[in-house]
Amino acid sequence: MSEENIEEIKKEIAIERLRQAPSTIKISFGNNGGFMNRDEMIKQVLDNTETGKKIINLQLEYLKAFKKGILAGG
Amino acid sequence: MACILFSRPADDVTLNYLYYYSKELVNLSNSLGHKTINKEKEKANKNTILSLIINQKPILIMFNGHGSSEVICGHNQEVIVDSKENPEVLKNSITYALACSSALILGLKSIEKNAICFIGYKSDFALGKDPDSEASPRYDKVAKLFLEPSNILVSLLLKGNNVRKSIEKAKEEMMKNIWYLQTTNSFPEAIHYAPFLFSNYSSLVPLGNEDASINND
Repeated sequence: MSEENIEEIKKEIAIERLRQAPSTIKISFGNNGGFMNRDEMIKQVLDNTETGKKIINLQLEYLKAFKKGILAGG
Repeated sequence: MACILFSRPADDVTLNYLYYYSKELVNLSNSLGHKTINKEKEKANKNTILSLIINQKPILIMFNGHGSSEVICGHNQEVIVDSKENPEVLKNSITYALACSSALILGLKSIEKNAICFIGYKSDFALGKDPDSEASPRYDKVAKLFLEPSNILVSLLLKGNNVRKSIEKAKEEMMKNIWYLQTTNSFPEAIHYAPFLFSNYSSLVPLGNEDASINND
């Protein structure tokens, strides 16, 4: 599988995870000073912005942490 | 008596949250008898903050603000510390930057220039907001989960704990809050905030001397 395909799959995973969130979620992430809702975050990912790339990365890192058991305890 | 400097701009919604939450740290610093210098809103500007750092030599500096891998900003996104221009201003201080990504380059440069310790984030700092709070930090149950761990970190530093212990406790609180977000049914967005708080957890790092405290400069 090419690196490009892997990046596309990562993007799809991040978008699918964001789509599962209620549209009302609000996150400030980065330097624009405001809060993004779900659809604005998805747009950042689809548009390949720097913020979008960071959102993909944090969603993937979260899943990896689950796999490693880092987030398994209370 | 330790000298503590706070830079607290508040010129957009996100910064207003940081401003609100850090107010209790200014009060704590005062109540502990530290020489507390609080520059907020438009007074959190480059000239004022740099002049205070040079003349007052604070042992602990807390910056709220926007940032990047190379800079920390004040009011109106004016760059206060820049890895290419003046990282040496942080020498002999413990700095905590509640700002995006500044641990990546600026933090390292400041350590090269004899900062005692730089505590910051390697990635963008994420802040969740309760959709029902109408941007009122006081009533925002989600923002509290993101910002209280940061306050624990600074509170412990103000009380004389070393950097290592202060970060450890802040991370414990973050993990507790992540677990809460993963398991609570009290609001439907909860679990979807967890990856963002985990990003803060993962990217919070100390650079330099982790044994440092405001008591052993």
